[in-house]
Amino acid sequence: MKKKMIFSEFFRNNGLGMGSLLIALVGFWLIFLIVLPQLSMLDYSFRFNLPPAEQGGPKDFYTLSNYEHLLYGSDQTHQTYNSVDLMVFVRTIIAAMLVTLFNIVLCYPLAYFLGQSKGSGFVRLLVVLLIIPYWINEILRAFALRIIFGESGLLNEALMFMHLIREPIDFIRQDIALYAGLGYAYILLMLFPMYNVIESLDRNQIEAARDMGASWIQIHRRIVIPHAKPGIVSGATMVFMLTAGALAAPQILGGPSSLWFTQLVYQWFNDSLNWQQGAAYAIVLLASTIVIVLTVMRIFKVNMGDIGK
Amino acid sequence: MSSATIVRVALGAYLLIFFSYLLGPLVVMSLTAFNSAAFPSVSPWACFSFEWFRVLYDDKHIREGIYYSIIIGVGTVILSVSMGLAASIVLTQIWPRLRSTYYTLIIAPILIPGVVLGISTLVFWDRVGKFLGATDGSFLHDLFHNGIFLTILGQSAFIASYAMLVFVARLQRFDPGLTEAALDLGASHTQAFRKILLPFMRPAIASASVLAFLASFENYNTTTFTIIDYKTLTTVLAQKVRLGINPSISSLAFIIIVLTIFAALAFEASQRNRQRKEAIKQGKQKSGSKGFLPSFMRGNPAAILFVLLACVVIVMISVANSYSAKECKVRVREARQIEIQQRIDALKKARAAKELANPGQSQAPATGDKPANAPSGAFGNVFDPNNLTDETQEKETPGGSGAFGNVFDPTNLNNDE
Repeated sequence: MKKKMIFSEFFRNNGLGMGSLLIALVGFWLIFLIVLPQLSMLDYSFRFNLPPAEQGGPKDFYTLSNYEHLLYGSDQTHQTYNSVDLMVFVRTIIAAMLVTLFNIVLCYPLAYFLGQSKGSGFVRLLVVLLIIPYWINEILRAFALRIIFGESGLLNEALMFMHLIREPIDFIRQDIALYAGLGYAYILLMLFPMYNVIESLDRNQIEAARDMGASWIQIHRRIVIPHAKPGIVSGATMVFMLTAGALAAPQILGGPSSLWFTQLVYQWFNDSLNWQQGAAYAIVLLASTIVIVLTVMRIFKVNMGDIGK
Repeated sequence: MSSATIVRVALGAYLLIFFSYLLGPLVVMSLTAFNSAAFPSVSPWACFSFEWFRVLYDDKHIREGIYYSIIIGVGTVILSVSMGLAASIVLTQIWPRLRSTYYTLIIAPILIPGVVLGISTLVFWDRVGKFLGATDGSFLHDLFHNGIFLTILGQSAFIASYAMLVFVARLQRFDPGLTEAALDLGASHTQAFRKILLPFMRPAIASASVLAFLASFENYNTTTFTIIDYKTLTTVLAQKVRLGINPSISSLAFIIIVLTIFAALAFEASQRNRQRKEAIKQGKQKSGSKGFLPSFMRGNPAAILFVLLACVVIVMISVANSYSAKECKVRVREARQIEIQQRIDALKKARAAKELANPGQSQAPATGDKPANAPSGAFGNVFDPNNLTDETQEKETPGGSGAFGNVFDPTNLNNDE
């Protein structure tokens, strides 16, 4: 009953034509591009990978086998765990968290500096310099790091030239290049939300605290960080989700023996052509990252509405 | 006061580190575009050359990829900007209790991993095709398995959220009274939308379109699943980088970087110009006509930089048309041959000297002008002449632990002769 009233009000405000156009566009987006695709992927993940002829037949019933494969591998008796895939999963999540922390630590001082020194030409130049790498393709940025970290790359040559090392270090095989690349890829998505909230902080608050004798650390802990919290959490959420779901950087910078969880999904889809298995892995990735993000938001008491500001 | 200097120095060092982490890789990559060596690198610099731009230009896959990227970009802009605009208008009018749920729903696609969006789009439209009974070869089946169609839908799912954020920021400053006034004066809803809201939103629509196009153009995670048998620029690049890298990719990156800098400078310059004009209008600043610069460049470093950069690019293009790295390449090849020859000669001399001396081998090699043993050098001690003589004595030992293994081991060369 109430809903009807809202709708009638909506159409009264917008007219029948405009109102239905708005509803149609939003409805198409939410239903056909977001909700139904996710649901059909969920449905897919509970099915067997059958040839087209057997689909809808007696063999086509719901199963947990795709999820069991992640836990136990191809072992039907469930005696041994699928340690390879599980390790990849755990590594992906933990590495994404570490990359996020690294980005927070690296960006906070710069966001504070940019946010609190208003309007000078130097700061404007810095902001322009920050925006430039943001528009360079993700793949090209990974490629740039590969040039630097390669076996005969710039970093190895420089270190050997300075006699710090005698033999080239294999940064790619040791995953140093991968972590540097992941940290590099989304750093600006951390910086800009932080910068926006710190910019809105009244400088008088900091000065008042300083006049009252607060130390440098106290100012940050009691004033700046609580104020910047929504920005920090928003940036951290985006960086964490994007890092955990990154595909280009691991494909280009990852060592031959180490995989990222998205690469497993990619392999199920494109190499093994087992969409059902790939969908199950994708669901696991989506669900676990969402749970982690919601937990962190609950711990730091930040609302969904703060994201994207 | 000294603590203030410490803070300042620390800040400077920190800024330096941050910006070299951010920009250093791009600079290095740009430099490799001009090195004639076949592997993208800076440190063994061979020749300054423009040949990789030619290679890039001749690359059919990249041109095709750019073509499809633009088509998909345009489609995504149209779909995602209209959906984002509609979603933001609905957000301002929705029942307050539904508001936060609705906002969560339309902001969620930003947080869903791109891989997941790509997969779900692919799976869903495959399912829709089956549900509608589309058989192989029918129009609907082809449409639902068409890479361009799927990619536009998959990308729009999250790019619409970005557009929505831009619109929400602008709508907050919109006065709904204006629309009401128009309606009271007898305008239809469509007219009110077209004449009042749309002109107000125009700057936001422009920036959302640019944002959406760029996001679409550089998207990889979603596209790689939905593109099927087409290719976009990013999927072509990813394939190239994974299969083996060569500097033509650097030259593409260089072009993109230069275009980005141009765009950033142009934007900055036009903003400054507008600010200055406003200041003049308000009488805060004199419009003074002294100085030799044209008026749009006065007090506007971004505009000056823009013009300078344009000049540099023009000079570079004209140089590239006449410049040839052939001579330099020949020189590099000759230098390498001479180097090899010298090493062979030195080896021969050493051998002759040893034969002159007695077969007592424990003695130091005979040639006099040898550097001291310095095995910590960049190349291990492959090039250490002492090492060479040792190896000639114990013929088949697998020596040479340096960077080049024993590729340059003169014994190898000698055996060939």
